Amino acid sequence: MTATTIRSCSRPIWPLAVGLAGLLAVGLVLSLGVGAVSVAPGQVLAVLWAKARGTAAAPAQLTIIVWDLRLARALLAIAIGAGLAAAGAAYQAVFRNPLADPFVIGASGGAALGAAGAIITGRLPVVPAAFAGAVLAVVAVYLLAQTGGRPSAINLLLAGAALSTLLSAAVTLLMFLNDRALHEVFAWLMGGLAGRSWPHLAAAGPVILLSIAGLWALARPLDALTGGEESAQSLGLNLMRARFAVVAAATLATAAAVAAGGIIGFVGLIVPHIGRRLGGGAHAGLIPLSALAGGLLLLVADDLARTVVAPVELPVGVLMALIGAPFFLWLLKRG
Amino acid sequence: MLFGLRLGLRRPDAAFGLRRPDAAFASQPPDAALEARDLTLGYHHGIVLHNLHLSVRSGRVLALAGPNGAGKTTLLRSLARLLRPRQGIVLLDGRDVWRFSERDTARRLGLVPQNEAAEWPLTVEQVVMLGRAAHRGWFMPYTAADHRAVDDALAQTGLTPLRARLLTELSGGERQRVLIARALAQEPAAILLDEPTAQLDLRYQAAVLGLTRRLAHERGLAVVVSLHDLNLVALYADQVALIADGGLVAEGSPADVLTPDHLQRAYGVPVAVGRHPVYGTPLVMPVMEG
Repeated sequence: MTATTIRSCSRPIWPLAVGLAGLLAVGLVLSLGVGAVSVAPGQVLAVLWAKARGTAAAPAQLTIIVWDLRLARALLAIAIGAGLAAAGAAYQAVFRNPLADPFVIGASGGAALGAAGAIITGRLPVVPAAFAGAVLAVVAVYLLAQTGGRPSAINLLLAGAALSTLLSAAVTLLMFLNDRALHEVFAWLMGGLAGRSWPHLAAAGPVILLSIAGLWALARPLDALTGGEESAQSLGLNLMRARFAVVAAATLATAAAVAAGGIIGFVGLIVPHIGRRLGGGAHAGLIPLSALAGGLLLLVADDLARTVVAPVELPVGVLMALIGAPFFLWLLKRG
Repeated sequence: MLFGLRLGLRRPDAAFGLRRPDAAFASQPPDAALEARDLTLGYHHGIVLHNLHLSVRSGRVLALAGPNGAGKTTLLRSLARLLRPRQGIVLLDGRDVWRFSERDTARRLGLVPQNEAAEWPLTVEQVVMLGRAAHRGWFMPYTAADHRAVDDALAQTGLTPLRARLLTELSGGERQRVLIARALAQEPAAILLDEPTAQLDLRYQAAVLGLTRRLAHERGLAVVVSLHDLNLVALYADQVALIADGGLVAEGSPADVLTPDHLQRAYGVPVAVGRHPVYGTPLVMPVMEG
């Protein structure tokens, strides 16, 4: 498998992937050290080591900061960034559209309505409501896009755009009519990881990981789809089944990410382009590279979001755009 | 190597493989690799082709010619199992193509589409490798046999030196050859090409059609190719189906089909037909009016 993968990539993927994974590991250790209380990397490693071995060698206060407060949030940032980037890469291939992102067929609008409804009524937990909203919106788009029993790619995009508009209008209306919940809903819409902890990671992490693995397994059909749908069919691909599988995996990743972190834009749109520039367009390399780069980008952005003007937290999506957009523009100029 | 036209090998034999409508339900020659019987094709807004009969044997090049909108691409899509016929049947190896799955079809039939998008940064080798999915499936790792088939397809099309290049960096003629190599990697018995010379200069027209002809005559593939340029049809095809107004105007050898009378009926303009100075094949030229 490895020999084949290396041979079928335009540039060797493994050095890049290993490098990014190393950066991610270093970034994680450093992230656990930054915040209101600084913890040296050595101490961070000592806490992680002690926890992993089940001993109580590290000071209890450091353990609480590193393990209980920061680790889950950092891992969640990585998972969300990875999931959104992988989903974006898959949608860009399925729709052969460089502007496609994980929200292109309605996931964000559905999640927003679910979350806003839960916050305003106060009767539902926000995370499952947002997850269900995202999944239901995509299912609705998929059904609405059917003409003659099969959804065409362009119908999916158009139905997604139309339903997203409808749903965000509904969210705006809900906010307008319930101004007491206005701030809370608005904060959710901007996306962020403040107060996220182990239960969020336990709920979203496995779904995102499995979805990324599914998209990775679909690398060959994704490659075939980049040449066009009829071309992919003539290569022996069952178009309807392949597209359904891709949309299902990408939607689960997106819904889980949005439910846990709110609507975080940009990462799913730009990171796949960075991935293609680094390692080529073949999805056997692109999906893992995008996932690693997306995880790293969101981790760094979240570190900055919680430290730059601490104790106030900035919206992570804004920070990510501030870091990622110049980097991407630099890549574009470099050609 | 790309210019190995082998025009001296043209045999004016009578086995055109193309059959006239009245003979459609007669017994089938056993070597018809691809056959359309009583085919009626259309889209939502209407019928494009009526009750068409044609077939092509292994080792032969069948050219589809005719004016814009006559239905050449529609016919190719139907032969490639991408468009269900309104009526009639497409036989691949003697079986209804719609009885096959997509993968079964792809193992027997390769398609070289027109204007396939090439904005994705895949390498030549990665694109050609996709032709192996028909055999290996969409999830199993490629084997040594797959790499051999890809190496062979690259060598056949002269692409071996370009194998690591990105599709986005290639010229139109090189991209066309990549798509042919991908179809060859499918190891099919028949290959369909939709306007493979559109937007190619003279050199690449000769290279692509020369390659196509060699694949039929040396490798025994059944080839169906749609072409706009009637002079290329005359040079490279073993048999021609001239399509216009929803049906066949004429069918047979280039010399029989490419006559002023047939062409005026198909295109609605007067044409003159001369002789190719080297090969003696028909040479079609417009006649200026007014």
